[in-house]
Amino acid sequence: MSTQTIDPSKTPLAVKDLNTENPRWCAGCGDFGIIMGLKRFIVERQLQPAQTVNVSGIGCSSRAPFYFNTYGVHSIHGRPITVALGLALARPDLNLFVHAGDGDALSIGGNHLIHGINKNFKCVFMMYDNEIYALTKNQTSPTTRKDHWTNTQPQGSFLNPMNPISIAIGLGASFVASTADWIPDHLTNTIKTAFDHPGFAFVHISQRCPHFDPSNFDHKSSSWFSFLKHPNGIEPDRRLAANTEVLEHDPSDIAKAFQYAAADRRYFGLFYQNKNKPRYDEVLHNLVKNAKPKDRAKILDGFII
Amino acid sequence: MSVEQRSVTRFELLMDAGTGAQKAGDILLAAFVAMGKYIYVEPMIPAEISPPARSRAALSGVIIRLADFDITNIGNDTDLILASHEIVLDRRLEDNEYNNKCVVLLDMGDKESNPDSYEQVLKRCTKEGVSVIPFQMDDVSKAILKDLAGKGQNLFYLGMLSYIYNMDEEIVKAEIQNTFGKKLKPEIMEKNLTLYHNGYHLAKEKIFFRIQVESRPREGEKILIDGNSSLSMGLIDAGFKLFSGYPITPASSIMHTLAKEFPSYGGLVHQAEDEIAAIGTAIGAYFGGVPSVTCTSGPGLSLKQEFIGYSQMAEIPLVLIDVQRGGPSTGMPTKTEQSDLHAVIFGSHGDYTKIVISVCNVIDCFYAPHLARYLAEKLRLPVFIMSDFQTANSYKVISKPQVVQMDNVEDIPDFILERFHMNRLPKEIEMVRTVQSNPGVEGGMRRVSGLNTDNQGKVSYTSLTSQRSHEIRNEKVHHVNRALTKPEMFGTESGDLLLVGWGSTRGALEEAVHLCEKENLKVAGMNLRIVYPLPLMLKDVFAKYKKVMTVEVAYGDELKPSPLAMLLRAHTLVDIKPLIAQATGRPIRPRIVLKRIKEVLSQ
Repeated sequence: MSTQTIDPSKTPLAVKDLNTENPRWCAGCGDFGIIMGLKRFIVERQLQPAQTVNVSGIGCSSRAPFYFNTYGVHSIHGRPITVALGLALARPDLNLFVHAGDGDALSIGGNHLIHGINKNFKCVFMMYDNEIYALTKNQTSPTTRKDHWTNTQPQGSFLNPMNPISIAIGLGASFVASTADWIPDHLTNTIKTAFDHPGFAFVHISQRCPHFDPSNFDHKSSSWFSFLKHPNGIEPDRRLAANTEVLEHDPSDIAKAFQYAAADRRYFGLFYQNKNKPRYDEVLHNLVKNAKPKDRAKILDGFII
Repeated sequence: MSVEQRSVTRFELLMDAGTGAQKAGDILLAAFVAMGKYIYVEPMIPAEISPPARSRAALSGVIIRLADFDITNIGNDTDLILASHEIVLDRRLEDNEYNNKCVVLLDMGDKESNPDSYEQVLKRCTKEGVSVIPFQMDDVSKAILKDLAGKGQNLFYLGMLSYIYNMDEEIVKAEIQNTFGKKLKPEIMEKNLTLYHNGYHLAKEKIFFRIQVESRPREGEKILIDGNSSLSMGLIDAGFKLFSGYPITPASSIMHTLAKEFPSYGGLVHQAEDEIAAIGTAIGAYFGGVPSVTCTSGPGLSLKQEFIGYSQMAEIPLVLIDVQRGGPSTGMPTKTEQSDLHAVIFGSHGDYTKIVISVCNVIDCFYAPHLARYLAEKLRLPVFIMSDFQTANSYKVISKPQVVQMDNVEDIPDFILERFHMNRLPKEIEMVRTVQSNPGVEGGMRRVSGLNTDNQGKVSYTSLTSQRSHEIRNEKVHHVNRALTKPEMFGTESGDLLLVGWGSTRGALEEAVHLCEKENLKVAGMNLRIVYPLPLMLKDVFAKYKKVMTVEVAYGDELKPSPLAMLLRAHTLVDIKPLIAQATGRPIRPRIVLKRIKEVLSQ
């Protein structure tokens, strides 16, 4: 990933430089907070917009790339990881952010999440989890809570929701963190820690959908969640830490990480990190680096009779 | 003992899968080539790895057409079959590709335990007029075979064929050494060579004929290459830097070749988790400005369709190789067919704007990647290279093609464009989005999408922008329409019948037209290198013939025009029907084409 930052002789990059158009999201949508969190990080790190690519799938949140004045690929439903891998392999110089909703990540694109995590290629993977299909108008998603009313399961959603954090840890993710759209400092700090991770950084983001599920996520109170804290982890949100539980958690402790992930209570912070997991993108690049170069002019000589 | 001189002949070796028929074929091929003969080889491979021995499904074999002149196809029918037992013979007789003088050398080794089955097949041979020369391995060879746990039967047969085809024993032995030398321990190698030797002598003592095809000294540097290897090398020469695929027969060998070769030329091979991921990664890499290719066959093509549409809409270049096999669905993975044509041209929902290049021989396989990359980057559309099982797996001796080492697509040499019967495209081609910069270009930041956009790349659902986007995408394809020159033709300039084909039928079509010329029939042939879009003058060319028909390895009947026929009908409003539209999985045979031509001309 690019270490190049803005030329200091130039005017520093500001959030307004990253804006494009007014996002086509509902008022109060959690996506606003998430893209602002990422913009704040890009500004803080002074990443070059021309060296930055946002890749997304399909869904409300996947419109995010349109609202960054960087490069962007709004791809097809469920497949942003595949496109992002192409960029990671072809252009390791770029800063890569992948935006995917709960449908993208866990339903139609579940297979790619498995393999993105397994390949551990360098990118920040942001899972916008509003626990509902919103753009298609209120259908059950893999993370919709049981008994919640939707258009496709009007009797109340049938199954217990899938647990993205358990799944990510279970799949062997080298970086698993969780945050929420309404805790801006924590969100930006999470993205920062994820960006500095050498591999596939899975960031789960609880995201409000005021249009289809306004009662989900009580963002005015903080008693229902805890922060995970550690010197190698993510700093708890300054504004909210005083009003809620803060737990010390060593992100190298995978057993504990599983416990927090499986609990009924929600935890925000760094669950797990392993900086030594091999990276598929590096393996492939090294293959080329270490291969004995051959002369293209003699490409057919091996077939001469 | 007679030695029969032949200008061209065809023979087959039929065995159980896993017993070395393909290896024997490779050795024969290399030895014949070393002796200065022209060959065309078609492997018969089961789709499974090791079906039960002595079953019809186990048939694994090789068909070799041998000539003293350059040949372009696997030919008409078989003069000699060597079969390891009666079941594989029975299975192969079903394809009805032997002539009335065909001789079968049948190994009777299994007869004792299967007398009835042998009896039945021998009766069938008598009934169908195929003469059988039974033989049995000598006891010494049988003992060696037992020693080698049954492995080495192919070497015995190789010995027999070496004698019959008057091959230089030393050359064949050298090829055996080349093929197995490094893998086998010296004492095992010695036993294999004894089997070869014993086979040779068995034939010498028991078979009362030999077939001799003259050798011709070759001029210039020649290479021996198959379709998929040629495509792989072409991809490297055309400057591709990333291959992204998922294993699928019969396309996989391209990935195998590149996995070995690509890193030495700075290229990456990515084996994706599925077909969709494979194309997504190719698209992502091309968005990054790195020439990328994905490769598939039948079922994989179906899976890739959504991304194929995306490439058109997002204006991200894409090169996709489709090595066709029998369909629909899983179909026949190791048999040839040309029925993906419509799925490629019209596939993916919504309007279709793509370019379809076909390859008909190993030389085209080498240059198609250059043209595909040129078109993909100039037009920012998906470009297909359509091959098929037959072209992919057939080996041929050719003059070494000129290596181009293409880096910039504007440097594509004229001879490649001419080879595919097209002119250079205009320098500037209008895009839906005015800015098409690659990531890294400062000030060129842009977002692409599968949603409709205006010329600034902004999502737009207005009637004007939608119509405009369609017009611009289609105009890109029309640039190719206009750049296409008259397709390759053989035979008379005008006449009674014009036969049109594409891809792997070319060789058989060309040979059939030559046979027509010898009989003074006013018949011509046309091979389309670019199948979509079609050249504008096609209707004028068709008007010079009383009848226009297609030759296709795809299904068609009275009520359903075969794929190419349907396309040509729609394009020219000429009443085009297939002369041959077969979905047998077998290549088209020149003499069958001739027979059908005569039937049609006499109607």
